Amino acid sequence: MIRLENLTKHFGKLAAVESLSLEVEPGEVFGFLGPNGAGKTTTIRVMMGILKPTSGRASLGGYDVAREPEKAKAITGFIPDRPFIYEKLSGTEFLKFVGSLHQIDSPLLERRMADLLEHFELSEWKDELVEGYSHGMKQRLVHCASLLHEPKILVVDEPMVGIDPKGTRQLKDLFLSLAKGGTTVFLSTHSIGVAEEICQRVGIINRGKLIAVGTMAELYRMARINGGGLESAFLELTRDKEPGAPDTKEP
Amino acid sequence: MRPLFVLLSPTVISWRNELRAGGRARRLRRLALIGLGIGFWIGTYWTIRRVLLYFQTVHDLGAALAYQLLLIILLTFLSMLLFSNLITSLSTYFLARDLELVRSTPAPAASFFYARLITTTVNSSWMVLFFSFPIFAAYGAVFGGGGEFTLWVALVLPLFLVIPAALGALITHLLVYSLPAKRIRDILFFVGLFAFVMLYFLFRFSQPERLVQPETFGHFLDFLSAMETPSSPYLPSTWSAEIFASVLFDKPTDRWFFFALITSYAFFLPLAASWVSAAVYLSGWSKAQEARQGRRPSNLLDRILHWATHPFPPTAKAIMLKDIKTFLRDTTQWSQLFLLLALVVVYVYNFKVLPLDRSPIPTETLRTVISFTNVALAGFVLSAVAIRFAFPGVSLEGSAFWILQSSPISLKSLLWSKFWLNLVPLLVLGELLVFFTNLLLRVPLWMMGLSLVTIFLMTFGITAIGVGIGALYPKFNYDHVAEIPTSFGGAVCMIFSVAFIGATVMIEAWPVYVLAMQGLSFGTVTGAGWILAPSLAGVAVLTVIAVVLPIKLGLKRLEEICE
Ligand SMILES: Nc1ncnc2c1ncn2[C@@H]1O[C@H](COP(=O)(O)OP(=O)(O)OP(=O)(O)O)[C@@H](O)[C@H]1O
Ligand SMILES: [Mg+2]
Repeated sequence: MIRLENLTKHFGKLAAVESLSLEVEPGEVFGFLGPNGAGKTTTIRVMMGILKPTSGRASLGGYDVAREPEKAKAITGFIPDRPFIYEKLSGTEFLKFVGSLHQIDSPLLERRMADLLEHFELSEWKDELVEGYSHGMKQRLVHCASLLHEPKILVVDEPMVGIDPKGTRQLKDLFLSLAKGGTTVFLSTHSIGVAEEICQRVGIINRGKLIAVGTMAELYRMARINGGGLESAFLELTRDKEPGAPDTKEP
Repeated sequence: MRPLFVLLSPTVISWRNELRAGGRARRLRRLALIGLGIGFWIGTYWTIRRVLLYFQTVHDLGAALAYQLLLIILLTFLSMLLFSNLITSLSTYFLARDLELVRSTPAPAASFFYARLITTTVNSSWMVLFFSFPIFAAYGAVFGGGGEFTLWVALVLPLFLVIPAALGALITHLLVYSLPAKRIRDILFFVGLFAFVMLYFLFRFSQPERLVQPETFGHFLDFLSAMETPSSPYLPSTWSAEIFASVLFDKPTDRWFFFALITSYAFFLPLAASWVSAAVYLSGWSKAQEARQGRRPSNLLDRILHWATHPFPPTAKAIMLKDIKTFLRDTTQWSQLFLLLALVVVYVYNFKVLPLDRSPIPTETLRTVISFTNVALAGFVLSAVAIRFAFPGVSLEGSAFWILQSSPISLKSLLWSKFWLNLVPLLVLGELLVFFTNLLLRVPLWMMGLSLVTIFLMTFGITAIGVGIGALYPKFNYDHVAEIPTSFGGAVCMIFSVAFIGATVMIEAWPVYVLAMQGLSFGTVTGAGWILAPSLAGVAVLTVIAVVLPIKLGLKRLEEICE
C-alpha cells in the first residue's frame, strides 16, 4: 500500500533521509520510531508529495506521488505534526473546505461530518470559530478532517501530542478499527507504549537511516535483548556506536 | 471552476466571520475608521482638484500638465503594485502556513495557481484602489469626464491591476526556482536589487532632463509636445494614461489600440505565469521548505552594539539589542533597505535636474516654494520608510510575543524602546535628505534652517505614528516581514502620517509664503524669525500630540491583548 524506494532527502549537506526503502501492507498499522531529528517528519513530507525527494520514489496505493500526485493524495489522509487550521473559520466551515477539496458530494459530506464530529466529541463546538478552540480540540478537528474522505491510507505524524488520556485511548482504538476495516495506518511517534500497543510492525529510523524494521519479536531479536520490552530495544538500536560522529543538527 | 471557488472559500469566509464578529467597541472603531477613510478621500480629492484647476490657469499647458501628473501617478501605482505583488506572491505561493494543508489534498494544480493569483491580486491591490479613487474622481470632475470616463476607469483598472499581479507571480516563481535553497529567504534582496536596476533604467529611458535642457526645444510648442509625449511607451501605466487622456482631454490617440494592448497583456500574463507555475512550482516550494540556515554570530558586532545601546535602561537595552541583531541577521528585514536606497536616489536626482533657471517666476521665490514642498515630500519619504521599518516593530515579535508578555517588563518600555530605535536612523535620513536637496536648490539660509527644524520635529511624529499604529494593528501571524506594512493597519498608518505631514505643512505655509514674497521684492529677508516663531510653536505642539497619541493608543491595544 505504501512503498518507499531508496528515498533520499538532503537539506544542503545534511542527509535528513538516506536511501530509505520500506513497504507497508494494506490494513497494517505501521509505527515509525526514532529520536528527535531522525528524519521522521521529513520522510512523511516526502511521502505526501509536500517535499520533493533528492532521489528515490514514493508511491501510495500504487500511485507514484511525483507522477500522479492528485490520485495519490485522493486516497490518503494526512495529519501533520504541526497542523494549520484557518483560525477565522468555524469547525464546520473548515471541514466543508477540506471535504470540498476532496470533492465529496454534499449529502455524503454532511453525514461524514456529523459522524466524525460526534466521534471526536466536537459536535457542540462545531459552529465556534477555531481560534476559540483549545490545543487538543484543534488536534481533534484535524483528525476529523483527515478522515472525511474515508482514506485508504492514513499518514500521521505524532498524533498523541496534546491529547488527553481519554482521547489517546480513543485514538488508539480508532487506528485499530480503521486497520481492521482495511485502512493502512502509517504512524510516526515517540511513544514506545503506543507503538507496542497498536503497531503490527515497527520501523526505527536514526540519522536518516532505517536501522531496523519488523514485528516486535523481530526487533527484540535484532537488539539481542531478552526482556525489557521495546524501550530497551529502541535505546539499544539507536545508541550511537561511533562517539566521534558528527551530530545531527537541530534547526 | 469549482475547486477554484473552494480554494478561495476560506479567505472569503474568514472575512465574513471577521466582519460579523465584535461587540459595540469594535463596531465603533470600524465606524471611526470608515470616517477616517472618507475624510482622507475628501482631502485627497480636494487637493488634486485644486492642483488640476491650477494647471488650467497656466496658459495652454493645463491638459499637458494634467497628463504628465496622471502618468506619474499611474507609474507610481504600477511600481507599488509590482513590489507588493512580488512580496505577496512570495507569501501566498511559497510561505503561507496553509500550504501544507492545501497541498496534501488532491486539489488540481491549475485551480490552486489561479486561486492564489486572485488572493495575491486582491491583497496587494486594495490599497492602490483605495488611494486611486479620489484621484480619478478629481480628474473626472475637473475635465468633465462624466459617465464615459467612469466606464473607462472601471474597464481599464482591473486590467491594470492584473498585469503586475501576474508579473509578480511569474517573477517570484522564477526566482524561487532558480535561487539556491539557502538564498530563498533572501529573495527580497534580489527583488530589491531588481527594483533598483529597473528604476534606474526606467529613469534613463524617460530622460527627465530632456524637459530641462532648453537647447533641445527651439520653441515653446516643442516643449509642449514633449510634455504630451509619454516618456516610457512600454508600460501599462502609459497605456492606461493614454486611454484616459483620450477620454478626458480629447488627446488624439487610438484608445482602442491601447485598450487592446492592455487587455491582451492582462490575459496573456496570467496564462504564462500559470504555465511557468505548472513547470516549476513543486521544485520551488520544496526548496523553499529547506531554506533554513545556521550562521555564527560575530563578536565584534556584539561589542559595538553593547556600547551603542548602553545609555538606555537594561530592559530597553535588551529589547533594542535583540531587535538590531534580528534586523541585521534577517535578510528579509535589512534587504528592504535597497528599496529605500532606490527611493532616495531617485528623489535626490529629481532635484538635481529641476529646470529652475528657465522658469518665468523669479528664481529665489521658486526655490523657496520648491524647498518647502521638499520638506513635505521628504516627510512622505520618511513615512514610507517608517511604514517599512517602524510599523512592523511590534508585529515582528510575532509568535514570540509571549516571551515579552510573560517577562517582567512593561509594554510601555517595549514601545518606547522601539520608538527610539527607529527614531535615530530616521532622523539621520531625514536631515541628510533635506540638507542635501536644499543644497542642490541653493535655498536661502532661513529656509534651510526652517526645513531642518521642521523635518526634525516631523520625524518624531512619523516614528511614533509608525510604532504606535503598528501596535494598534499588530499582525503577529505574518508569513513574510514585508507583508506587514501592506496590511490594513499599514493603510491606517499611512493615512495618519499623511494627515500629520499635511497639517504641519499647512501651519507653516502662510509664513513661508509671506517670507518668499518678501524675498521677491527685497532680495533679503529680515526678521524672518518673528514671522516663523508662532507657527513653529504650533508645529511643536502638533508633534507632541502626534507622538503621545499613537503610542498611547498602541499601548492600550497591547494591554487589551494581554487580558
Ligand atoms: N526544512 C529544513 N531545512 C533544513 N533542515 C531540515 C529541515 N527540516 C528538517 N531538517 C533537518 O532534517 C533532520 C530530520 O528532521 P525531521 O524533522 O525529519 O526529524 P524528526 O524525526 O521528525 O524529529 P522530531 O522527532 O523532533 O519531530 C534534522 O536534522 C533537521 O535539522
Ligand atoms: Mg517530526
